[in-house]
Amino acid sequence: MTIVEKTHPRHQLNELLLNPIRFSLVASLDKAEKLSFSEVRDIIEVSDSVMSKQVSALEQVNILLVQKIFVGKYPKTMLSLTKEGRSAWQEHLAALKTIAG
Amino acid sequence: MTNPVSQIEARSLLNEASRISKKAHNAVRWPYITFLLLLGVVTSFGSFAMAMTEGSDFGLAYAITLIAFFIVMMVFLISTKGKLAFAWSKRWSIYIASWTVVYLGAIMVVAFAHGSLVLASVTSGLVLLLNTTFAIIEMKR
Repeated sequence: MTIVEKTHPRHQLNELLLNPIRFSLVASLDKAEKLSFSEVRDIIEVSDSVMSKQVSALEQVNILLVQKIFVGKYPKTMLSLTKEGRSAWQEHLAALKTIAG
Repeated sequence: MTNPVSQIEARSLLNEASRISKKAHNAVRWPYITFLLLLGVVTSFGSFAMAMTEGSDFGLAYAITLIAFFIVMMVFLISTKGKLAFAWSKRWSIYIASWTVVYLGAIMVVAFAHGSLVLASVTSGLVLLLNTTFAIIEMKR
């Protein structure tokens, strides 16, 4: 068996971020840094249930940091990228740029 | 493994990432940029006016600065209620810490070098320059 070194940029793509909803979710937090669940949901135009599912998936792999805070009396879920998440996002974008040429 | 993303798709994804990222940033950044600019204007002109006036004029400058400062703070807090886009980020901590340092310098001039046009111009000008620079940095991000 021959071991072939994986040099093609496709190998650098993060499979989790190939999902369009997860891709949009992470993209929305790139510059804005910290947004509420509802703000991200409105920006990427998905339902609460779809959003919840993808937030959980990204939180489990430590890409997304989910924090519960209180604004006055009301609870709010805040989302931001973890250090690992930001790094994964930059690597994913770099691989896309290489493929795009 | 076939390539999961073609060259055309990669370009399209990069454009989409840029569009969403800017859309999200635009949705939240303007209250912060306005706050930086207004904070700079109010504290710069206020400290300059306080440094260059005496007696009842000083009292008026002090009162107007204080009222304007509280209005800026209130408008900022109301407009960003529930939005914590930049709260506690390293970049914003640097902005506020830098403003605090130069503003304290301007207040020192008011207290210890009252009437010095040169020192008041330099310190108050620095407050305005710094906050305007930060606002421009945020606009360009």
